[in-house]
Amino acid sequence: MSIIEVNNLTKYYGKSRGIVDVSFNVDEGEIFGFIGPNGAGKSTTIRLFCSLIYPSGGYAKIFGKDAIKHGPEIRQEIGYLPSEVYYYDRMKVIDLLKYSASFYIKDCTKRLYELADIMELDLKRRIDDLSYGNKKKVGIVQGLLHQPKLILLDEPTSGLDPLMQQKFFNLIREENKRGVTVFFSSHILGEVQKMCNRVAIIKEGRIIKIGEMKTLQKDNYKKIRVAANNVDETRFSVEGVSNLEKDNGAIRFFYKGDINVITRLISEYEVSDVTIEEPTLEEIFLHYYE
Amino acid sequence: MNIFLRELKANFKSLVIWGGIAILFASIGFSKFSAFEANTELLAILDGMPPALLSAFNFNAFNLTTVTGFFGVMFTYFSLLLSVAAVMWGSEIITKEERDKTVEFSLTLPVPRSRLVTAKTLAAMVNCIGLLIITWGITLANAAKYQPDSEFYEFLSLSILALFIMQMIFLTVGIFLGCAMKQHKRASSVAVSLLLGTYFLSIIAGLNEDLEFLKYFSPFKYFNPAKLLHESKIEIVFVWVSAGIIAASLVGAYVSYSRRDLYI
Repeated sequence: MSIIEVNNLTKYYGKSRGIVDVSFNVDEGEIFGFIGPNGAGKSTTIRLFCSLIYPSGGYAKIFGKDAIKHGPEIRQEIGYLPSEVYYYDRMKVIDLLKYSASFYIKDCTKRLYELADIMELDLKRRIDDLSYGNKKKVGIVQGLLHQPKLILLDEPTSGLDPLMQQKFFNLIREENKRGVTVFFSSHILGEVQKMCNRVAIIKEGRIIKIGEMKTLQKDNYKKIRVAANNVDETRFSVEGVSNLEKDNGAIRFFYKGDINVITRLISEYEVSDVTIEEPTLEEIFLHYYE
Repeated sequence: MNIFLRELKANFKSLVIWGGIAILFASIGFSKFSAFEANTELLAILDGMPPALLSAFNFNAFNLTTVTGFFGVMFTYFSLLLSVAAVMWGSEIITKEERDKTVEFSLTLPVPRSRLVTAKTLAAMVNCIGLLIITWGITLANAAKYQPDSEFYEFLSLSILALFIMQMIFLTVGIFLGCAMKQHKRASSVAVSLLLGTYFLSIIAGLNEDLEFLKYFSPFKYFNPAKLLHESKIEIVFVWVSAGIIAASLVGAYVSYSRRDLYI
């Protein structure tokens, strides 16, 4: 079953573009990555899921129900961590979390304290005394305390130190193992690469690629580096080669196509070193953004 | 219930501040009255003033040298004070969520927007009633010195009722503007400008008989303290007009808030 079903979802803010014709599905139990630079429409998409804003066209269904019509019902089972967290400044952390918990049908008290413990959160302090990173921790506990079936993360790691990031990712993985679906929006490709099964790449409001993390890396480009004497880079200008460059007696390029063509070419030289790598998501991403 | 209680707590400080202003205002007013009481010279001075000026300040309908008459004049200022508080509470209780960027928290909770508007309206209403009770209490306390007659108490009760209706008008108008305006930062200033606009309209309506129809557009003209005193009644037509404004504002608030985008 699709946990998230997005169909031609479009949002314009007046005349300016939010997102255009976005369509994808996220299946139950997936960690789905959603990547794109700032302003590409990632937050717009998530805000449409939460019915903070209303679509100009198309629809989003969550748990099979329309995100707008059944908003409050759907949100019982959604945990949302925005990129920047803002809470009522004058409340104590524990009061805020209990306030948040009071909206859910199930009892969240036990999980609240568990999560606060994991994230090393000081519950007695006032929100406005907290640093950015600590506010983010409150956001994580608040977003997860009701054990949601779907977690929406919008650039979740900004402001967290590496140790906390690690704890946070472990937490998300544990939730995922219990069958929770995660929608992970980020521009930090490394974390998406570590966490996600599938990714969608969004550019200027449109989805330009959706694929399995593995196939996205495999089907795409190989990153090849050949070090050899007198290597002639023009010889490598064959179909499928891109980003060809030469430095210090070695050439580097991306290649897409029959790998045998390239190995034959390489064998013409007396090579001292050859590496053929999967490109990182970063490199795939840059490719789509060129 | 949880939203209502949280809002009450969050707005309590504001009630204390406005309550302080009301107490200060009443105390200063009554200390002035101590000079007017049974002062025949004052009456002579007032008789010499142009009638338009007197009507603008409601001086012509009242005998300023009695506590009842004096409160008749104070009524206008109390109505202004309570209305400003109401319109600001109304607009801010809604817009502060966007202003403080807390919408991303409060409106992603599993709550329909209509429930949020209801809870916030009720919380702001409690504040209005609190301020009204403070005003009532401080007036009673200050007036007691002058041993007012039963006419005063009757007039005061009727005035409090009129003030309550005015508060509700401006509260709901404030709520409506907070809900409907996309530029949430401007909602409060628009609300207060609207209030002051209707106040000046009420003065203009009093200056010229040809402009009397304007009174329908200014809640400050709905409950004329002179009529409250001399006829001991609230004009029923304006109760209906008030109810209409309140109902329309609330419907407008619910409809616009549940349809509009929330900006962060």
